[in-house]
Amino acid sequence: MFEAHEKMKLEADAKPFIKCAIPDPLPYKDLPAGLKVLRRCTLVLTESYQNARLAELSRNYDVLAVRPIDERTLQLACSSLDCDIISLDLTQRLPYWFKFKPLSEAIKSGKRFEISYAQGVMGDSGMRRSLISNATQLIRASRGRGLIISSEAKAAVACRGPWDAINLAAVWGLGQERGYEAMSKECRSVVVAAQLKRSSYRGVIDVVYGGEKPSPSEKEETGKGKGKQQPVNGQKRKAAALKADEDSIPAVAGAENTSQPLSKRQTKRQAKAAKLKAISGQQDGQKG
Amino acid sequence: MVRLKHRYLLVNILFPDLKNAPSAPRPKGVDELPYAIQFHQPSSDRMNAKLLMQMIRNGVSELFGDYGSGMIAGSLQVKYFSQATSTAIVRVSRDHYRLVWAALTFATHLPKPVNQACVFQVVRVSGTIRKAEEEAIRRARLSIRRAKRDTKTAQKVGGSADGRAAELNEDKDINLEDVSGFADGIDDADEPGDEDESD
Repeated sequence: MFEAHEKMKLEADAKPFIKCAIPDPLPYKDLPAGLKVLRRCTLVLTESYQNARLAELSRNYDVLAVRPIDERTLQLACSSLDCDIISLDLTQRLPYWFKFKPLSEAIKSGKRFEISYAQGVMGDSGMRRSLISNATQLIRASRGRGLIISSEAKAAVACRGPWDAINLAAVWGLGQERGYEAMSKECRSVVVAAQLKRSSYRGVIDVVYGGEKPSPSEKEETGKGKGKQQPVNGQKRKAAALKADEDSIPAVAGAENTSQPLSKRQTKRQAKAAKLKAISGQQDGQKG
Repeated sequence: MVRLKHRYLLVNILFPDLKNAPSAPRPKGVDELPYAIQFHQPSSDRMNAKLLMQMIRNGVSELFGDYGSGMIAGSLQVKYFSQATSTAIVRVSRDHYRLVWAALTFATHLPKPVNQACVFQVVRVSGTIRKAEEEAIRRARLSIRRAKRDTKTAQKVGGSADGRAAELNEDKDINLEDVSGFADGIDDADEPGDEDESD
């Protein structure tokens, strides 16, 4: 996944329309044709009030990340804010400790924590030290799950290969398997969860085949049959409707060729009815 | 008898900083090449195995202090270095190879006389040097094949199709592009027939 980064500070008097700030055909040559480019926005949380503009922001970007700056905003982001990634600036000395409870709450609701290595790799010794200390704490507090690893590279020189990043995480306490998950499975789950948040409704992900509309005259007949709620000939409602279906289908079949093939049950019933008719006809004949 | 086990890291040196790349003056028309080829450039002539070894030692000492330096000092060696392909094979003791790997990841440019921004990428960790060599050869062949394929399509677009499709199949008995199965890492597991090269 090619990830383009944009940091914005959301002010109270921002413009009414928020648009994606990343240009749509990217200005790079020779991107492979099958590459899907996603756009992500990282928002620095300076105030800790609930912001309704977040929904509008998340509508314009594929993934929304949030950067809390102190413990209160971290608590808010973990519990009630609607974001996809929580990405902390790990190169600063953080005055608080990570606790398992709020982190696991966030992970359960689908958010992931991000470890970015490029600032520490390119920066000076102090930033490196903070990165190592904070990353180790985060890995320990989250018990290795719910993390994603990425660079926050401003230039291509700061990127590292995926196995190099996994090895760094391994040195800082994340096992090899968890590291591989953090690089592959968790990243994919962030993208998919973000997409589901935006495009699914009540657990329905996508409608693949919505069925066909029944033909109009059939619909009328069955409508009449089903409209009768009282039992007909001592039969219950459903049987009456089925009977009405049976009767209507042969009638329609002559008119248009859209009748469905009769099921075994229906053919058996028809055969029985015909036999009974034949017998009763015989008896009448005999009687009369 | 207790054997000293090693790990051999196959390292690629990439130069993504295209402005100050080692090969200067830049040949004409190099900007049309795909980035994958442009990043793999030959290193400068002043770079050699001894300089790489010094760089790794300094890096480990800076990151892991005296403990790290002590742990790897006995068995750290650069077994192979090529300027043309910017590839190196580094030998480390098996228990502490991650320290050297981390030091390589944290390195941002080549040392003093050369002084270029670069990226070190470890592509294979194996228990024998033979596997590392085979992997290096496989990758070199793969990149040549890809480069031929890309320039072939580029030439076709330009209008003069080179009928060299037959040449691309020279390695069809070896499945070069088989990169599956890396879920366990790029490490080669220890096999019973592994034997270390003697010093």
